[in-house]
Amino acid sequence: MSPWGYLIFTGWASLGAVLLPDRWLLGLVALEVGFAVIWNREGLRLLRRPRFWFLVLATAALGPFLFGDPDVGIGVGGLSVSATGLSMGLAMSGRAIGLTMAVSLGMAALSLSDLVALFERVGLRGVGFALALAMNTLNTLQEMATVTLQTIRMRGGMRRPGIALRLFLVTTVANTLRYSDEVVNAATVRAFDPGVRRVAPLPLRRSDWVLLALIAGFTGAFLASR
Amino acid sequence: MSSYSVRHWVTIGLFSALWAAVEVSLGSYLHVIFPSQTNTFFVGVVLGGIGVVIALTGRHFVPHRGAVFFIALVTALLKLLSPAGARLGPFIAIVMEGLLMEAALWTVSEPRVWTFSLAGALAVGWNLPHKFIMMRLLWGQQIAQVYVKMLQEGSQILGIAPSAALWILGILLLVRLLVGALGGWVAWKLGQAVAKRMGRRFPSTGEVTR
Repeated sequence: MSPWGYLIFTGWASLGAVLLPDRWLLGLVALEVGFAVIWNREGLRLLRRPRFWFLVLATAALGPFLFGDPDVGIGVGGLSVSATGLSMGLAMSGRAIGLTMAVSLGMAALSLSDLVALFERVGLRGVGFALALAMNTLNTLQEMATVTLQTIRMRGGMRRPGIALRLFLVTTVANTLRYSDEVVNAATVRAFDPGVRRVAPLPLRRSDWVLLALIAGFTGAFLASR
Repeated sequence: MSSYSVRHWVTIGLFSALWAAVEVSLGSYLHVIFPSQTNTFFVGVVLGGIGVVIALTGRHFVPHRGAVFFIALVTALLKLLSPAGARLGPFIAIVMEGLLMEAALWTVSEPRVWTFSLAGALAVGWNLPHKFIMMRLLWGQQIAQVYVKMLQEGSQILGIAPSAALWILGILLLVRLLVGALGGWVAWKLGQAVAKRMGRRFPSTGEVTR
């Protein structure tokens, strides 16, 4: 699937999770699981996180106690819960699953090169360049900041925390700008020009069309039911 | 956009990397110590405050409109690409912070210390409504009933009037605005100090600026 497909899916599924009536959420989640099985199995890792299920199940379990009037006895110490509350809790859980999966399966499936290509395609070549650069310099900058901090500490700078913080900030920013000189030189000698738009082909693939048909079918069924 | 040179995009990339490094390392650490379900105050203020300082310091060295928003956008995308970052909340928070900072900087043609402080205040102030907006998006409109019920029962247990909740929210917002304004002021001073020490603010003479 092309990056367009993942983006379209994220946008559509996120909107669906927020706007769809409660009874349609199950269909949306089923569609998302189907999408994951066919196009992005990695995205299903989300479902293996205990923290995710704790949140979702806790919401469903608390619903009967938080909403509506208690009308169903559960046979434990004369305790009653609300059936309406249970359905509301389940709906809240369904919405959370739908939205979380929409992001996890769509946007999270995009690689750095996909995002750079997308920005280039929409005429924001500079943003794509900055994104790739930031990704590749993240560790270098972290290391530079760590070295600065260690140097200040070893020279006894921590005895005066205010001055140490100021020194750390100024040195880190100055190092970043000094490093930028090297990157600018490297980009310039490679004749990089953010103003030149290279229209790299990023066509829709067959799987994108299949996804669009599924989305159109689901949306059509929903609209027809109203 | 056409006024952006290679140096500007490089600077945007590097300041985004700095902000992302804080978000990924310190952010992950703080989120483990204070999970989002238990934390209502600390993490957003700390991360927002540091983000404001970095983004607005970067604005010193990319003196063009839109620079702060681009720094925030690239940071948000880096956060999304990080191993544990496939979450909508931080992405929206960082992009909104960038938008609000940019909106504040758009009010004047040439940035001043007060616009930096205003930009910082708006950006950090955002993370209070952000929490409620994200809860509404994630859990649906029923979450409003949960809030009302929690407010009523909480005020009964504590023996205080429900209107006190508004005061508490007001104080939380005020603290955020103050921290943000301080972040903006620090960014202004920091940018000036670094520019002075390095003896430059704009691209050096003879440099190719396309």
